[in-house]
Amino acid sequence: MRAAAQGGPAPAQPLPGALESLLERISRGDREAFDTLYTAVAGSVLGLARRVVRNPAQSEEVAQEVLIEVWRCASRFDARQGSAMAWIMTLAHRRAVDRVRSAQASADREVRAGVRDHSPAFDEVSEQVERRLEREQVRRCLRQLTELQHESVTLAYYRGYTYQETAEVLGVALGTVKTRLRDGLIRLRDCLGVSS
Amino acid sequence: MTTVDLHTLTGAYAVGALSGPEAEAFRRHMAECEACAQEVRELSETAARLALAVAEVPPDGLRERVMASLPEVRQLPPEVAVVPLHPAARRGPARRLPHLAAAACLVIAGIATGVAVDAQHRADVQHRRSVRAEQQAAELSALTSAPDATLHTGALKGGGTATVVASRSLGRAAVLFHDLPALSGSRVYELWYSHGGTMVPAGLVEPGRTAGAAVLAGAPTGADGVGITAEPHGGSPAPTGAPLVVLPV
Repeated sequence: MRAAAQGGPAPAQPLPGALESLLERISRGDREAFDTLYTAVAGSVLGLARRVVRNPAQSEEVAQEVLIEVWRCASRFDARQGSAMAWIMTLAHRRAVDRVRSAQASADREVRAGVRDHSPAFDEVSEQVERRLEREQVRRCLRQLTELQHESVTLAYYRGYTYQETAEVLGVALGTVKTRLRDGLIRLRDCLGVSS
Repeated sequence: MTTVDLHTLTGAYAVGALSGPEAEAFRRHMAECEACAQEVRELSETAARLALAVAEVPPDGLRERVMASLPEVRQLPPEVAVVPLHPAARRGPARRLPHLAAAACLVIAGIATGVAVDAQHRADVQHRRSVRAEQQAAELSALTSAPDATLHTGALKGGGTATVVASRSLGRAAVLFHDLPALSGSRVYELWYSHGGTMVPAGLVEPGRTAGAAVLAGAPTGADGVGITAEPHGGSPAPTGAPLVVLPV
């Protein structure tokens, strides 16, 4: 944002979008701007937390923490590092994943057993995800992934699995999951026309 | 781990699939690998689209709880830019790292929310959430994050404020509102596209809602404004009174 305002020889920056402008106002303590941002992003923050955390009450706590974090950290958003939506969803995903991983840490080896217990569940996840994907484009693009790419991406992102856990549940090598995550996301990126 | 191995971790990093120490090692690598940082930026944007696709309708109490806690949360000051000793050092690698700020924000201990959530109530609320409403929530996120989204805010005669978000590229517009006063009887707030003063109906605000959002029916193509009126139950084909507000679109 700032770079765009300065102009000059700096590389061309995208014009600040609506969310970016709101974050700028929020960083100055503008609660009305925050209220507007809430309306725009709370649904996605909560939806993502629900996918990862599952438990409704805990998901809601995570969503609440993330939204308050956006208020607290608004001044640290840097438009040169990516869009406001990506920043907020990164906060949301990290927070949700932290919640499930810290719960898992106490149970340590149960992770492995838990993953096995859940092994039919990735179908269930995919199904729910498919059902709720109302953005036609995302659904269409997810369908273009190979099965392994699709499973790797949805288990890691919507389940919050590490790539090791993803490899375990899919019964494939670690290196395979790493590359499938990357290939799958690159294919999604190209299909969705995401640029940075 | 070799450099080649590290390159392939961009995807895993972007979806948060690395454990703490691995993520840390990858961040160090990214500081010296602009191609990796660029790829992570793009893949993180891509992952965010996956989040938009699973938007849900937040329960009514969430907004109030979040808003109520803001006065107690100290906002972080901006990071003060370090004055470079040499102009050449001006853009250090750290300036380009994707969302390191997010990581920094998360390292600090979380805010104690102390929210008692009635799980059964939540489950009931969840049950009532319609697929339609979820679609609207996702549509709203997509709309607000569109690169060409515009925002116009104004106060309604009689109270409340409204913000019109519109994106020409998506061909969609929405009204975000809060503090809308309750209307007498069964009257409802109706939304309109204004085409040079001619009002075209674009949907109703869900009755009884004082804060929230409504995605307008139809595209903003050709419209120069969005208006809100109070209408009899069920809405009207043409406004029965002067608009409470008209905002540019």
